[in-house]
Amino acid sequence: MEVIEKVFLCKVSELAENQVKKIDNAEFGDIAVYNLGGQYYATADLCTHATASLAEGDIEDDMITCPVHWGQFHIPTGKAQGFPCEIDLRTYPVEIEGDEIFALIEADPALIAKG
Amino acid sequence: MGNIIKTLDVTDSLTGLKDVCDLENGRIAGKIFYDQAIYEQELEKVFARCWLFVAHESQIPKTGDYITTTMGEDEVIVIRQKSGGIKVFLNACPHRGNKVCFAESGSTRGFICNYHGWSFNVEGNLIGQHESGVYEDSNFDKSKWGLKEVAQVDSYKGLVFATFDPEAPTLKEYLGPITWYMDALFDNQEDGTEFVGGCIRSTYECNWKIAAENFVGDILHAGWTHDSAARAMLGGSVAKVSDFEESYSVNWNGHGYEFALDTVGNVAVLGESALNKYLHTIKPSVAERLGDFRSNMIGSVSSCTIFPNFSFLPGQNTVRVWQPRGPNKMELFTWVVVNKSAPEEVKEKWRKGAMMTFSPTGVFEMDDGENWEYCTKTAKGRVTAQQDLFVGLGMDTLLTDTPLPANVYEGQLNEANSRAFYQYWYDMLNSRSWNEVPNRNVGKQEAE
Repeated sequence: MEVIEKVFLCKVSELAENQVKKIDNAEFGDIAVYNLGGQYYATADLCTHATASLAEGDIEDDMITCPVHWGQFHIPTGKAQGFPCEIDLRTYPVEIEGDEIFALIEADPALIAKG
Repeated sequence: MGNIIKTLDVTDSLTGLKDVCDLENGRIAGKIFYDQAIYEQELEKVFARCWLFVAHESQIPKTGDYITTTMGEDEVIVIRQKSGGIKVFLNACPHRGNKVCFAESGSTRGFICNYHGWSFNVEGNLIGQHESGVYEDSNFDKSKWGLKEVAQVDSYKGLVFATFDPEAPTLKEYLGPITWYMDALFDNQEDGTEFVGGCIRSTYECNWKIAAENFVGDILHAGWTHDSAARAMLGGSVAKVSDFEESYSVNWNGHGYEFALDTVGNVAVLGESALNKYLHTIKPSVAERLGDFRSNMIGSVSSCTIFPNFSFLPGQNTVRVWQPRGPNKMELFTWVVVNKSAPEEVKEKWRKGAMMTFSPTGVFEMDDGENWEYCTKTAKGRVTAQQDLFVGLGMDTLLTDTPLPANVYEGQLNEANSRAFYQYWYDMLNSRSWNEVPNRNVGKQEAE
């Protein structure tokens, strides 16, 4: 049975515009939460190419650039933009409640990104 | 720090150098310009130990701004840090040694090696690799495998120097009182200097020392070698240097500066009256800042080499490094330096003027190139290479009663600086450590 878990990420006030923040999560793998001009997004934090925290990368428009090999992902869709990033990034729907940002994660073990 | 370069083993000095570098008797021999064994000793005992010019601060103002250059034949990256400091790394990946940066200059978030995707940040730390999992499985400690960092980096008035040798004296100690004279070009206005335009690169089939020695103290060649160039640029011959009432050759630790006090003799050969005018305009403020004496040096007939291979000409404002590329090959890197506070059109005239005179197609540079190449090539002859070459002008011209700092010699038509340059070279080649380098300085540490 599919279970949706609601995972608290951070407070709206903790994430300035065009910033990304890494949220440690042992269960689902670390999560990167983004504020793109007031729109919030969440993706897996681990680059799909090699060991790297995307939250340490740079945001350019709606792309996140991996700090290690400078490959890019489209933040809203997780789409990998080309070599060396060929595998799309897992994305999570985001919900805002008051000052708090949550990710909605399907807790199917087969879909859980490796942390 | 795991990223600091290893110190090299020091080999024994060559024997018989005195036969080819005997300054007490004012003689050297062409062998020092052509011999492979001597050259390899230079790479080890001069270029791997001395402070070498690597950049001007103005070339890399922001975090991640970098230039690439060489220290001897070692390729290096000079990069501005977040902290505002500057680091210098070997431009070689610590995995298989591939070059990691192929550009001459730029601004970057780091360097990624083309071979196996090792990635380094601005601080030189290894932050990841392609197939990072296999390294993690091998318990690889990436903190130990960053880009190799040179032992010391320091700057003087915007000029950045680096040395591979952790035992080298401080830059301040190394330059000594020569900085007092350097200020005539690099500190004559409050805002200091900057480089304009890029790096002009060319190659010569000559030994690097011939060029370095030319700038350390050889104005003697100018009136003869550069006559036609001077006629083209000035409409007349080069100033007759022996007519100057007052001129000097000063040196320290093998660095040398020869100069007259005519304010604009050098700048005049650029053929741009606006530049003469600019120097005359700033001269009163220079006098206030540095005193009357040095205000006469801002564009005068003069030249300087900082041992071993960094040189400049006040007035022409050309700044250069004579990069060794084998005993009989040299790569020349040149830049144009200007006062930051100078008007834009003045800066542009300097850039153009330097290109006209001291660039690969410059009228003065070409005159020198031919001479320097044949000073080297004649030494290909085994017999010719061992014959004495005269370097004995001005043997008894040391001034002992002068308020000027450094070792001061009377007159710029003088080979005192050339001898001091070769003496320091000889001393470095004969010293296995800095403690063994004899102190031959006799002059004052500071101006009186």
